[in-house]
Amino acid sequence: MKLERPVWRKLIQDGIISLFLYALPVLLMFLYFCMRGEHPWRQQEGKGIITISK
Amino acid sequence: MKFIETLFQQLNTWGLPVLLLIVGILESMFGLYNKRNDRNEFILDLLSFAIPKVLFPPVLAYFSLKFLPVLLPAWRNMFSWVPFFWGVVIIAVADDLTQYWNHRLHHQVPFLWRFHRTHHSAPYMGVAVYFRNNLIHVLLFSQVYLVATLAYLGLGYPALFVAGMKSLIVAAAHSSIPWDKPMYRIKWLHPVAWVLERFISTPATHHAHHAVTSDDDVGYYKGNFGNMFFIWDIIFGTGLITRKYPEEYGISHYEKDEWYAQFLWPLLKSKAPDSELSAGGPMVRMDDEPAIPAAPAEEAGV
Repeated sequence: MKLERPVWRKLIQDGIISLFLYALPVLLMFLYFCMRGEHPWRQQEGKGIITISK
Repeated sequence: MKFIETLFQQLNTWGLPVLLLIVGILESMFGLYNKRNDRNEFILDLLSFAIPKVLFPPVLAYFSLKFLPVLLPAWRNMFSWVPFFWGVVIIAVADDLTQYWNHRLHHQVPFLWRFHRTHHSAPYMGVAVYFRNNLIHVLLFSQVYLVATLAYLGLGYPALFVAGMKSLIVAAAHSSIPWDKPMYRIKWLHPVAWVLERFISTPATHHAHHAVTSDDDVGYYKGNFGNMFFIWDIIFGTGLITRKYPEEYGISHYEKDEWYAQFLWPLLKSKAPDSELSAGGPMVRMDDEPAIPAAPAEEAGV
C-alpha cells in the first residue's frame, strides 16, 4: 500500500511550514534579547574551558 | 521555586504514574470503561503501563550517560544560559510539534500504522489508553529521548516542566472523565471553552480521534493528531472541533488480537485471520462497511 500523491504533497507542504514554527520561538527569544541589549550566551563562553596555570 | 522544582521532579518519576493509576482505578470503579474492558484488554493495558516503567530507566541511563556524551561531547550544558521561560516556550513547541508529526505520520503513512494500532484498538477511553502502546513503538519513538537530550544540553528544568504539563494534559484528554462538558454547558464559560479547545487537546476533541468512525461529524480519527496542543491541527487543517462524544471507540474491524501480538508486534504476530497484525495480513485494512438492512420489499422477496 503506497502513500497517495496528494497526501505526500500535503505532508511536504506542512513540513516546510513546521520548520518556520520550530524556529519561531528561538527567533522571538533572540529578538527579545536584542531589544534589551542583552547577550546571555556570552556569559556561557569560557565556561567549561579548563585553564592550567603554573 | 524549590517546591515547584521538587513537584515536577516527582511528577516525572513516580508522581504521575501513581496519580494516573488512581484516576484509572476510579474510572474503572465508576464503570467509565463501558464494560468493554475484557481480560485480553486488561492484560494489554496493564503491561503497557508497567513494562516501560521497568525498561526505560536503564535505557535512558545508557542514552544520557553513555550515548550522548560520545555523540555530542562538546554540547553538554551548551544552552544552560537560556532563561527558564524561553526554555519552556522553545521546548513546548519543539517537543509537541515533533510529537504531532510522529502521530500524524503513524496515521498517514501505511507502513507506520501497525506500530500505532495498539493505541487505537481499545473499544473504550480512559487514562489506561494513554499508556496503551506497542512496546517496540514506545522504545523506538518515545519523546523521552528528546527530553533527555534537552536535559543534556542544559535545558533540564524547562524540559522537566514541559514533560510534566504535557503528561497531565494528554492524560486528561484521554480520560473518560468528561471534565470539559461543564464548559460547554455553562454560558459564561463558553469563551474559555472556545480558546481551550483550539489551544489544547480536550476530552471531546481527542475522544473524536479515537472514534470508530470519521463520518458522523463527531468522530474524526483521520485528524485531531495534536497531543498537548491542538493548535497544530488548526494550522495544518487536520482538526475537527467537536463538543460531542463519540458513540463508539476503537477500530471498526477490531479482531480482538491477542494481547501479546498487540504489545510486541512485529516480534509476535496475531492469530486472528485478516488482522493487520497477523502474518501475511494487510498493512492497512479499510473500515468495515456498516451493515445496511435490507428493504422490507426485498426481505419479502418481492
